[in-house]
Amino acid sequence: MKRVIVTGDSGGLGHKIVTNLLNHEEYSVIGVSRQETATIMDLRQEYKERYQHIAFDLSRPERIKDLFSNRIKDIGPIYGLVNNAAYAYDDIVTNARIESLERMYNINVFSPILLTKYVIRNMLLYGTKGAIVHISSVSAHTGYKGLSMYASTKGALEAFSIGVAREWGGYGIRSNCVAPGFMETPMSESLTPEQKRRIYKRTSLKEETSADSVAKTVAFLLSENASSITGTVIRVDNGTI
Amino acid sequence: MTEILLKIINEILDRNGKESLQTLDVQLSLRNDLGFDSLDLAVLTVKIEDQFGIDIFQNGIVDKVYEIINVVSRSE
Repeated sequence: MKRVIVTGDSGGLGHKIVTNLLNHEEYSVIGVSRQETATIMDLRQEYKERYQHIAFDLSRPERIKDLFSNRIKDIGPIYGLVNNAAYAYDDIVTNARIESLERMYNINVFSPILLTKYVIRNMLLYGTKGAIVHISSVSAHTGYKGLSMYASTKGALEAFSIGVAREWGGYGIRSNCVAPGFMETPMSESLTPEQKRRIYKRTSLKEETSADSVAKTVAFLLSENASSITGTVIRVDNGTI
Repeated sequence: MTEILLKIINEILDRNGKESLQTLDVQLSLRNDLGFDSLDLAVLTVKIEDQFGIDIFQNGIVDKVYEIINVVSRSE
């Protein structure tokens, strides 16, 4: 059984990623997010043996050491990590507020870095040739008004992933990113229909990105089928070019 | 403790294609005598932490074998 930690499992994309992985019998999932939602309770019911949820606030990266020592260490070898949880502080940069930026960087950058630290330590202990997937964003590659600060967190994550791939490739540990386009998830619900129409018009396929397609790409990157892929970014964005 | 430490060090030497140690000289330098790089030291750290529950690099750089023994002994 390959254990995979998925952060933000209570969110729209996170739920898709978890259910997609659990559809493969070889995986079990440890979901990490602050909220205990109805969807999490449903997952617990449906996949009693292969799904567990840990309530943890990812805006507190300084507590990740204790999360591993107290809740994860005794579970045993970890095969994969999906850094999916994210916080979108969207505004134009002339309105930037440091408190919101700090919260966003804690959730989107510092927690993923520290989770990677402890997951790789776990992989080294057990000699696991594991895989890490970070969820980036199309906004790291294409400019959108109001997303410059959010995009900067995703650019940081992509650069981090490349370095990790290079550092730990010799131990068979892979690190990749998936950069989704705009999806119909709770994270994008603040956009008006007109804003959404304009965003989708910029894509080659002229519609919202399928969260299912993103989740299946994550599963691919975790799998043996991607054994020669590391340090890359797969854009699942309906061709935002 | 030295037996476990010797076993962990030999696992890393073996992975690096180097000859195993028969005994553990406490004056050995991990970097200069055993040729450990930062990644080897990370492996050493997690394996020692698993056995003794202490991160040997938590309070600074450790290089000599006796320094590891001192850090672990103090924690016990």
